[in-house]
Amino acid sequence: MAFHHLSRALTGLLVDTSFITHQRPFSVSAVVTAIQKMTRVRVVDNSSLGNTPYHRPPRVIHVYTKNGVGKVGDRVLLAIKGQKKKALIVGHKMPGDRMNPRFDSNNVVLIEDNGNPTGTRIRVPIPTHLREKAGDFSKVLAIASSFV
Amino acid sequence: MAVCRKGLHEFIFSLRLLRNLQFQNERFFSASLCRFVGVDNSEPPKFTPPPKPVIVDKTRTGAPLRTFLSPEFIPPRQRINPLKFFIERTDMIRRRKVLDIPEFYVGSILGVTMADPNASGKVNRFVGICIQRGGKGLGATFVLRNIINSQGVEICYELYSPRIQKIEVLKLEKRLDDNLMYLRDALPEYSTVDPDMKPVPFSPTEEVPVNTIKVKMRPKPWSKRWERPKFNIQGIAFSLCLTPEKMEHAQKWAQPWLEYDMLKEYDTTKLEEEILREVQKEMNKCERAS
Amino acid sequence: TFRTGRKRRHGWLYFVASVRTVKTTTWFEEHLTEDNQEYMRKSMAEEYRRQTAEKLNPLKDEPWQRHEWTEGSRRVGLVAVKLGMAPIWTKTGERHVVTMLQVQDCHVIKHLSKEEYDGHTAALIVGGKNVSPFYRSEKQMEMFRNAGVPPKQKIATFKISDNALIKPGTPLYAAHFRPGQYVDVTSKSIGKGFQGVMKRWGFKGQPASHGQTKTHRRPGASGPGGDPGKVFKGKKMPGMMGNIYITAHGLKIWRVNTKYNVLYVHGSVPGHRNCLLKVKDTVLPTRSSTLINPPFPTYFTEEGGDLDEDLYDENVFIHTEPSLTLT
Repeated sequence: MAFHHLSRALTGLLVDTSFITHQRPFSVSAVVTAIQKMTRVRVVDNSSLGNTPYHRPPRVIHVYTKNGVGKVGDRVLLAIKGQKKKALIVGHKMPGDRMNPRFDSNNVVLIEDNGNPTGTRIRVPIPTHLREKAGDFSKVLAIASSFV
Repeated sequence: MAVCRKGLHEFIFSLRLLRNLQFQNERFFSASLCRFVGVDNSEPPKFTPPPKPVIVDKTRTGAPLRTFLSPEFIPPRQRINPLKFFIERTDMIRRRKVLDIPEFYVGSILGVTMADPNASGKVNRFVGICIQRGGKGLGATFVLRNIINSQGVEICYELYSPRIQKIEVLKLEKRLDDNLMYLRDALPEYSTVDPDMKPVPFSPTEEVPVNTIKVKMRPKPWSKRWERPKFNIQGIAFSLCLTPEKMEHAQKWAQPWLEYDMLKEYDTTKLEEEILREVQKEMNKCERAS
Repeated sequence: TFRTGRKRRHGWLYFVASVRTVKTTTWFEEHLTEDNQEYMRKSMAEEYRRQTAEKLNPLKDEPWQRHEWTEGSRRVGLVAVKLGMAPIWTKTGERHVVTMLQVQDCHVIKHLSKEEYDGHTAALIVGGKNVSPFYRSEKQMEMFRNAGVPPKQKIATFKISDNALIKPGTPLYAAHFRPGQYVDVTSKSIGKGFQGVMKRWGFKGQPASHGQTKTHRRPGASGPGGDPGKVFKGKKMPGMMGNIYITAHGLKIWRVNTKYNVLYVHGSVPGHRNCLLKVKDTVLPTRSSTLINPPFPTYFTEEGGDLDEDLYDENVFIHTEPSLTLT
């Protein structure tokens, strides 16, 4: 985080490189498809598990929905740093309904089995229609920094 | 399209003049009315702020207002009864009388305020650059893009949705292309807009300025192969990211015969004139009534 | 030389005629000169337009007796033209798509009593969309003449209850249906031609690879082997798809435009654009409660009073209202 701020203060090339290294350790420019099994995702909270670098990006290994497609508000199981961890989808590349935001990356927040978020802060904007989804996300919504 | 537009502009020169005259008259009338009200009051003379000076550029008084027909008014080329589009148009005009939908283009910076039951304050405002306009008739949409907290966000708005409360044009300009979807693959600074941006004033008479910026792209892979001729993109600095050999290789997919396909021709000039006349007539009706 | 020339001309004529074999000649083309034909076409069209613009029943005899609406009565339906689709918004900000159906020159043409129809119910024949009389058979033309209405492109039969009789020649309008009620729409679906089982019935097909030989979109087995020793009737097979009559049940009417006679029906309806379809009160028992005191037996312009130009369902956002503020 500190490195990020520092680099933002600097100008020129450093900003771009920080963006690339920080946000996209893998290619997110692929086709816009749904979050399903084996989708690589980006962890957007400040938990240590999701932010320490690792040679393999976190992948979805299960989606807890009927049709196997994850949308905002759905829970997924991640393979992250050799562990299995649950996560909540808080934004995806695939366009949803109109008047709802679409993000440039597939964002997830790590949660414990009981639904409490692992991290203490979410760095990116959270879609407001997460509030109307069924399920108790109050603790996740509480650590969000901004809404869009 | 560009040729069509030019022809249109020439043709309705007289119409513009007429409209301009009406506008000036209205302004004059409202100013004088204010003054009369001030005189009629028998109370002790209170300080009334002088009416705002109307800044009129003397050199441009004769210049006619720019006419603009929103692209969703032009019906697609189909075998649908024109009555359907007429009925839709009446609904669109009704909505435009309530909500001021300004003139804007792909590349303009907009701020949209929308009713959102989930947002705090029940209102959601998003500022971004318009990267695409789509749909015809009541189903018209536009996509705004911005980068917030180094996260790219896009929202597709329905132009005639009742949830939209306000559309502000913060900066009116065009770009070299009609579709800026390639900003997804460009460096983030090209789609970053300050959310608290102040509106940049623009002239209602002159031609809309064209921003000839050429964006720098991220390294490949991109979401689409933008160098391919079918996209015909002018606004990317290809020389920075692709070698001349690769650019030449992309020309392999060129279809230069398509522009001579007479079955695909759709000249909307006449149609645009008619619809513009109809829309202006209806909109003026409302102004006079109010 | 003269004879051979004539012969050659004949041969050329035959050649021309054989290019398009589907050339039917009508009585009018055989007996009228071209100028007269053109005159007839124009004058007939004008005459028909005038007739439909009058909005009155052309038959001058006694009006038929009217009955009161009772629970369980079946009204007549309409013949409408599909215009296209459009979005509509509710007062809660939700978006729905609607299909716009225009009721064009819709008239009651004939009444079939119980005995004439099927012995169980009475029926009314309704026609929509005026057409040229030159291509109608004499039998059809007689039916139209008896009703005093122009010939119609589409004719539909509606079963009605005995108290919903309408005199032939009565024009029908979109205000026959009211916003909030539910309708069934019947029309011919878009023809897809001869299709395989994957498109026609949604079979799964076979894998693209892993050693498949010439087997990717085939139906697979058609049933058990020696025990029945046959393929059961009704087995889903490849064949002609589409171009059959399909009914979409229980579509809500969101809005009715009485000036242009346009119905705004929820969702999609079968058929291509500009096709003619049957619209009638829904048969779904769960939706029958929405039909409370409708115009019975139909809406008559002379006594229905002045309706607004647009009738809306109570939940529809009207575009002249200010923007929504949601809570």
